[in-house]
Amino acid sequence: MTTATPDTTTAALSVRGLRKTFAGRTVLDGIDLDVRAGELVAVLGANGSGKSTALRCVIGLERPDAGSVRLHGEETAGQAGRRPAAVSRRAAMVFQHIHLVPRRSALDNVCAGALGRLPLRRSLTPLLFPRELREEAMACLARVGLADRAGEAVARLSGGQQQRVAVARALCQRADVLLADEPVASLDPAATTQVLDLLGVLARDEGLAVAAVLHQPALARRHADRIVGLRGGGLVIDAPAGDVPASALDDLYSHGPGPEGTTP
Amino acid sequence: MTAPPLAAAPPRLRRPSVLAALTVVIVGAAHVLAWRGADVSPAALAEGWEGMRDFLGEAVPPDLSWSTVVRPGLDAALVTLYIGLLGTTLSVPFALVLAVLGARTTTPNAFVQQAARSVLSFLRAVPDVVFALIFVTAVGLGPFAGVLALVFHNTGVMGKLWSEAMEETDPGVREALRTNGASGVQVTSHAVLPAVLPQLAGLLLYRLDVNVRSSLVLGLVGAGGIGFLINQSIRLFRFDEMLTYILIVLALVIAVDQLSSAVRRRIGR
Repeated sequence: MTTATPDTTTAALSVRGLRKTFAGRTVLDGIDLDVRAGELVAVLGANGSGKSTALRCVIGLERPDAGSVRLHGEETAGQAGRRPAAVSRRAAMVFQHIHLVPRRSALDNVCAGALGRLPLRRSLTPLLFPRELREEAMACLARVGLADRAGEAVARLSGGQQQRVAVARALCQRADVLLADEPVASLDPAATTQVLDLLGVLARDEGLAVAAVLHQPALARRHADRIVGLRGGGLVIDAPAGDVPASALDDLYSHGPGPEGTTP
Repeated sequence: MTAPPLAAAPPRLRRPSVLAALTVVIVGAAHVLAWRGADVSPAALAEGWEGMRDFLGEAVPPDLSWSTVVRPGLDAALVTLYIGLLGTTLSVPFALVLAVLGARTTTPNAFVQQAARSVLSFLRAVPDVVFALIFVTAVGLGPFAGVLALVFHNTGVMGKLWSEAMEETDPGVREALRTNGASGVQVTSHAVLPAVLPQLAGLLLYRLDVNVRSSLVLGLVGAGGIGFLINQSIRLFRFDEMLTYILIVLALVIAVDQLSSAVRRRIGR
């Protein structure tokens, strides 16, 4: 367990000069981003501003063209070669569309978070999962408040509950950097509040470094410690949530050519 | 002041393209050639209806003597069912391995993928009747040759169907498990297989249904079962016996079909 006091010396996640181009279109144009243990950072930006791509580069689902991604000071080999598994496993991701196995129980889904550290003979089917893992997964479910639904098939849970199971799966990965790609975009307001409250608790009380791409500035203001704004592939806002003026947020979504663009 | 003119609606019919016209001409020509090449002649059918009348006259009423026809018929129908059942079940492990190796989502290695797909294509391309003829030469006349024939052919067909089902799984779940650090085999066993299991079971039942019907045809080439009896009674001109067997087959096929679709409906829910 990491300390509850924010670590100000080394950021848990440190991104430098991240670049990514898709078919000649520059999506990320040299992004620098730090997320410290104990803080919830909201990443805002219009559609296509590169916010999801940035997270996907960090977790290794996209390979950046240039730049470095460090977890607790250790390079995860962003653009070249395979990622050292033990390092990259310290970061986990939850998705807008949740991506659990609907037919399996919440507990089995949470156990799947540990697949990276299990040998094949203990992980070919959920029947082979070690007893300690099942206990650890129960503890993860308890942390997201769903221990009582452990045996139920995920398909029978509500959207908000499913997203919390996905968070528990990330916890079972023993990640201390948690990335969330539009985690509440498909949820109703009550579930949205529950999930974002949970992310806040994990950051402030349990010391995780949490970065969440959000689509609503109001949610970012209410739940995040810090707001990062992306526009045209570059970082245009990086400030404590309370210090960001509303006009700056409006500019993120205006239809200009880029950070310096003006709209009538 | 008049209302602004509305944009004209697009014409009801578009002019057909050259390609469409050419397609119609080619398909039409193919049918003319086929009509001639297959010796299709409604006149021959009209003139020869007496032959059919005689045939049916001899077949009706069916021979329903219990000990010489109905009982052996039922026993043989059971053998036909057994051939279909074993032919389907024994092909499961082979079909599963080849399906996993041949699907893009479970096998990243292009060479392995192509190799598995080639094996499946070959097994699919050789009809089960041809496999049966080959195996009759190895294990002799009888149901076992039929079982072997079905195992080979069904592996090809079911493996291909399963492989396609695996390729259509949600990439999101696979991606999510990758970020957990799961290996390729783990992604297959925890994301792909649980997602497709109901589909695989449905396809299996569908194949059971088809295979029971095929095992009937396999009997005609000596691979046991009620097809063998039908073939025999035709050779001996015992058409009333043949009709009894055909009625038994009808009952068997309908029963398996109903059972298989009922179970598939339940799984699909």
